[in-house]
Amino acid sequence: MVKEFNILITGVGGQGVILMSELLGKAAVADGLRVRGSEILGMAVRGGSVTSAIRIGDEVYGPLIPTSKCNALVGMEPSEALRNITYLSKSSLVILNTAVTAPFTVFIGESSYPSLGEILEKLGKASGRIVQLDAAKTAQTAGSLLATNIVMLGALFGTGQLPIKIATIKETVESHFPAKLAPVNIKAFDLGYEACQQALG
Amino acid sequence: MKELTISSDAPGQRLFVLGNEAIARGAIEAGVQIAAAYPGTPSSEITETLARVAKELDMYVEWSTNEKVAFEIALAASICGVRALASMKHVGVNVAHDPLMTASYIGAKGGLVLLSADDPWAWSSQNEQDNRYIAEQGYIPVLEPSSVQEAKDMMVDAFKLSEQFRQLFMFRSVTRIGHARADTTLGEISRERRKGQFVKDRTWLDYTPREARINKPLMLERFEKIKKAVNILPYNQLKLADGAKLGIIACGLSYSYALEAVNWLGIEDRVSMLKIGTPHPLPEELVLKLLTSVKEALVAEELDPFVELHVKAIAGEYNIPVKIHGKDLLPRIGELSTRKITEAIAQLAKAKTPVDFASIDKLEQETAPLLPWRPPALCPGCPHRASHYAIRVASRKVARDYGKEIEPIYPGDIGCYALGYNPPQEASDTIICMGASFGIANGLAHVIDAPIVAHLGDSTFFHAGMPPLVNAVYNKANITMVIMDNSATAMTGFQPHPGTGYTAMGDETVMLKPEEIARACGVKFVEVVDPFNLKEATETIEKAIRFEGPAVVVSRRLCAIIEQREKKKRKEAIVPYRIDPEKCNVKCNACIELLGCPALIKEGTKTVIDSSLCNGCGLCAQVCPYKAIVLE
Repeated sequence: MVKEFNILITGVGGQGVILMSELLGKAAVADGLRVRGSEILGMAVRGGSVTSAIRIGDEVYGPLIPTSKCNALVGMEPSEALRNITYLSKSSLVILNTAVTAPFTVFIGESSYPSLGEILEKLGKASGRIVQLDAAKTAQTAGSLLATNIVMLGALFGTGQLPIKIATIKETVESHFPAKLAPVNIKAFDLGYEACQQALG
Repeated sequence: MKELTISSDAPGQRLFVLGNEAIARGAIEAGVQIAAAYPGTPSSEITETLARVAKELDMYVEWSTNEKVAFEIALAASICGVRALASMKHVGVNVAHDPLMTASYIGAKGGLVLLSADDPWAWSSQNEQDNRYIAEQGYIPVLEPSSVQEAKDMMVDAFKLSEQFRQLFMFRSVTRIGHARADTTLGEISRERRKGQFVKDRTWLDYTPREARINKPLMLERFEKIKKAVNILPYNQLKLADGAKLGIIACGLSYSYALEAVNWLGIEDRVSMLKIGTPHPLPEELVLKLLTSVKEALVAEELDPFVELHVKAIAGEYNIPVKIHGKDLLPRIGELSTRKITEAIAQLAKAKTPVDFASIDKLEQETAPLLPWRPPALCPGCPHRASHYAIRVASRKVARDYGKEIEPIYPGDIGCYALGYNPPQEASDTIICMGASFGIANGLAHVIDAPIVAHLGDSTFFHAGMPPLVNAVYNKANITMVIMDNSATAMTGFQPHPGTGYTAMGDETVMLKPEEIARACGVKFVEVVDPFNLKEATETIEKAIRFEGPAVVVSRRLCAIIEQREKKKRKEAIVPYRIDPEKCNVKCNACIELLGCPALIKEGTKTVIDSSLCNGCGLCAQVCPYKAIVLE
């Protein structure tokens, strides 16, 4: 029995955050688990910040992760991971895509983007462990930049902490994509998985 | 094995769905035959889901021109004995308010449910009004779910209850129900299909003063019956803990947070809980039982103290010595959370919070200054970016003739173009409600001496833009009205509307043209432009502003996302632009500063185009003073 396992996916509109949570939710249901989650749509989709929570377990009721109760934070973009720092605690794991997507406000001098070092320092203070990877590069190795989110999904499973079976999530990924695109995405998943396992040693 | 979908008749099976899909599923299981709506976040997916399966399940589903019409369609079906649903966002109920207040006198014959999708924290709205007050004004009972599963189950029962009590019901959802996701156990689908029958009954349906006086007492009688019945509905649940001094009354979604809060604090055995699924009317007997068993009570509900005030009234009426808390400890603004309720309960129960929230807040405060500002932006290739640019250039030119200090005014509206309120567009000076751009412009024309250029989208024009356009003609308001026609209700998910040529259920229909409507309404200056022909668009808008009297410019170009999808279907390549580094002046930055397109990015000091984002609209090439932006 799983009591409570909370996953927060953070990123920017267009990075496939919502698809990741859909795949996680479907796989969890296929494994007979209870799932709750929530996301922000609407104004936030168009280039703005996006967050999506997936909560698995028998003692989960609300759609949102309570402050500090995130088990795994999947950061598709460094500053967006930092924006959600209050969800973390010393028992949280952060899987961070280090590729930066700066908003145009940075280019016109209306705001500034922190250095990766600053981001890692703050996240490090708040969490237990950070796994960094260049998911975009890994996705290109797999065959498509569009599979960046699936690389990150693989990395999330590479932590070995998820209550969902790896075979189930892979089946879910495979059946989501048309036959032509499925192999690239499975490869992306595997590469992400391996990268995380390597990083964790 | 056939894949499980939202229309599968597979009782007992579990499906991972969006809350709005679960609500739609509830309506499907109830055998709803008519569903009408106007799109609005967070409600749109309900009707989208129903429209997708309408033909398969023999239902009629439509996107109506606005919420008033949508509600009237559902009301008509109910009058004829057919089950009907009208869905809208919270502010949409304002548009439907007029028929709603008399509909409650009529009651319901076929089950009639009004879905109000409230939006605490106004995630995608102009306000965070609490529609339980609208329901109260019309003696309309309200059902409010605590979870996605309950939303599905409650929707099935909403239709049954509506028929049982011959009254229309409001189903109040919130963003974190409609846009939550959860595994949901399906029920049986009703295949009953009724034939509508209109029975002429003027005493029931013809509201002259006489009928108002006849039917109001009948409505009040129905309400009294519902008031008794809600005490035994499964959606209201009382769990008394032995010897508990503290009671929690939690309404709708707040109940889920309250459950988690009590578990987190580890005080399950020390608090009594009353779950409220019908905030209006409240289950008075259950409230009394709780209040008489505790010394203090906390009412947890999002937004206004609706339940709290009624609970206090009950305590006062029965003289119960209990201290009732609510908005003294929980905010009226925004969404509740497990943390907020945990802190409120901890204070009352004199318990220690499970984590040190203060240190987390401190970390957040330290982090905030580091974060870049990431406002939502118009998509790459969005035609609104070009329209806003043309409006600004044209109106500022004309404004100089009004005087040196004169600034043009841009009344804006609800839709994607509302993002033009952010820099660099800054071309939306007011955003109030659907259609208010034209209405506000009408008013400004009588008090301000400056170019007034209002804009709204095509769907918004059909929804609420036509009356103020007629008003401008009739009352001779000297304003320019730009209709940014991208052939979609894009903000809410590209739903069709009267200008698109097809219906919710995918049937072809007439395509109404805003320019023809404007001409028929007596506007003497009506022009259609392509905003991606920036020069022509700017010149035409300038002429419109200089025109004495109301003028209309239809700025027409298909929504960039739809265009991209269509190109993909046609296997047509999207050819991105690139910046020639030889010609680009790195100090200039005009393209980024004027347009703010997400595809224009900086790599060090160099400006480059992200070819994976560029959709080839060519707008930046038109504004570049060095002609440095060229096709790949």
